[in-house]
Amino acid sequence: MMLDRRRLLTSALTLGAMHAFPGMSLAQARPLVFATFTGSWEEAHKAVLVPAFRKANADAAIVLDPMLSVDQIAKVNAAKANPPIDVMLHDPGPALVAIGQDLVDPFPADKSAYFKDLIPEAQDAMGPAPFFQVVGLTYNPETVKTPPTSWADLWKPEFKGKVGITNLNSTLGTGWLVEIARMRGGSEANVDEGFKALEELKPNLAAVAANPGALATLFQQGQIDISPGNFNAIQILKARGVPVEFVAPKEGAIAFKTTIHIVKNSPNKELAFKLIEAALSPEVQTTLMNSPYLIVPTNTKVAMSGEIAKVLAKDTAELKKKFVFQDWKKINEQRASWIEKFNRDIKI
Amino acid sequence: MKSATTAPGDVTSFSLGLALPLGLAFAIFFVLPLAQLFYLSLHNDTAATVWGLGQYIKFLTDPFSLAVLGSTLLLGAEVTLACLVLGYPIAWLYQRSGSRVQTLIIMIVLLPLLTSVVVRTFAWIVILGRQGIINSVLQSLGLIGTPLRMIYTQGGLIAALAQVQMPLMVLPLITAIGRIDPNLSDASASLGAGSWRTFVKVMLPLSMPGIIAGCTLTYAAAITAFITQSLVGGGQMLFMPMYLYQQASTLQNWPFAAAISIIFLFAVLAIVALFSTLGRRARGYGDAR
Repeated sequence: MMLDRRRLLTSALTLGAMHAFPGMSLAQARPLVFATFTGSWEEAHKAVLVPAFRKANADAAIVLDPMLSVDQIAKVNAAKANPPIDVMLHDPGPALVAIGQDLVDPFPADKSAYFKDLIPEAQDAMGPAPFFQVVGLTYNPETVKTPPTSWADLWKPEFKGKVGITNLNSTLGTGWLVEIARMRGGSEANVDEGFKALEELKPNLAAVAANPGALATLFQQGQIDISPGNFNAIQILKARGVPVEFVAPKEGAIAFKTTIHIVKNSPNKELAFKLIEAALSPEVQTTLMNSPYLIVPTNTKVAMSGEIAKVLAKDTAELKKKFVFQDWKKINEQRASWIEKFNRDIKI
Repeated sequence: MKSATTAPGDVTSFSLGLALPLGLAFAIFFVLPLAQLFYLSLHNDTAATVWGLGQYIKFLTDPFSLAVLGSTLLLGAEVTLACLVLGYPIAWLYQRSGSRVQTLIIMIVLLPLLTSVVVRTFAWIVILGRQGIINSVLQSLGLIGTPLRMIYTQGGLIAALAQVQMPLMVLPLITAIGRIDPNLSDASASLGAGSWRTFVKVMLPLSMPGIIAGCTLTYAAAITAFITQSLVGGGQMLFMPMYLYQQASTLQNWPFAAAISIIFLFAVLAIVALFSTLGRRARGYGDAR
């Protein structure tokens, strides 16, 4: 059929919009819309990235519209011809979905002043990665006296009924499962060993949280003492006085690229490019690396300092040694069946 | 008899006209998207290009999916029962109290509605947690050695959902019990019935419309309570709303998610229809004089 769901949605929405706002088809100019993530991301971008962008671009109008990756994709999908968003921010899984559904334009890397300075993993032609998210071990230093050093520590008998994980809905949960599988000889294409390991982890499991946010709150309640956790989320908890510490396991902390993309058919392509440039610039990345944001930079010109230098890596060379990257193209191929298996098998 | 039959013609034409704006909004923003959802569910592939009943067959022949549906419907039944058993005495007490106590009761019942579900749910995490209120009290009394696991269990979830949805049960009950003539129970007592017999034979049948209304509301709210289910139930306890979310958001499998919602919708409709059939029978009860 010619009438697929997206076209139907698009035409229905366009027709509706044309009726509701007759002047819309004439007035194309709208501010640049940047769909960042909610929470600490929004705060950081509002305080640092937006002012830097406006300073460099004669106070160009910009709107932050924070939402989850999946919602960004749904919104752009619903109005492909005239997308309500100009710049999207994505975790690795959703980024591939957005690219696969032909929602983003390639990043004009040859025009960019900073693209070549990024570490190679961040140089993605469809949209560079201005930041990393890092997943390592999180623990409560009041109850866990010897800091853990390896993912394998989660299986120690002393953590019986103390370990928390998330299900595979989140990037964190899926990425962690892959890492566990790798530790035992598996890979992105084969996580059977990871599921076996999960089975053995069951006596230690206190909670399988529905999302990383819910997992973090369990530390506050003393429900769990140790879990895989996101570096930035833990810093926020720590700043609020929750007893949590982050360590990069010796197998390597899992690094997820957060990529930034120009939406296809955006009416503000030039400004969208400029915003991404600002996000890649060493100035913005340096500010965002420092307290209270502690966002891991991808530009090699940024000198690591502060908490990130202390806990994660002193420089790009060490960062590349201590971080592991995952092949999300492979992961996405089988993620559905893993989620199904997790749904069925993991009951505590 | 108060069953008045005064000029219904005029009255209905008025109410139809007044209902038009909402009716239109309902058609555009609910019926239309629902039709679209149904259209989407009739496709076999993720991109929605191949027609077929594949998604429905996949769900209805998969024991796991059916178990998710079953446990969701069961959860609703358990929560509804808990709300009824705990809520009925409150509504009863309300009708037997003076106006000051009545205000207090209505405050207590309504107060939860004034805070968001998220806040109420988080409160339950604090109460049920390993170092939560219940565990620390039990431990300080020496009743338990190690903390009980209450959060992320079915029991904890039912308790939290019952509290969160309680107003939906108590308010219709208060109205229904309030309509019962207090003389009826006195008459029953003077004719020699004990208080239990009076309750079962007189009060319970007369308050049946309130019970049915309360149960329908609580049931529908409990099975669709995505936030409470995922925060107190956790990530390994899978109910229909989370299943749907997982398929739609994480896996971008919209046709299957659409089929899940249509199946869920019909399952819930069946339960609601059951309740309202019971309600109609009960109304016969209540009007019998």
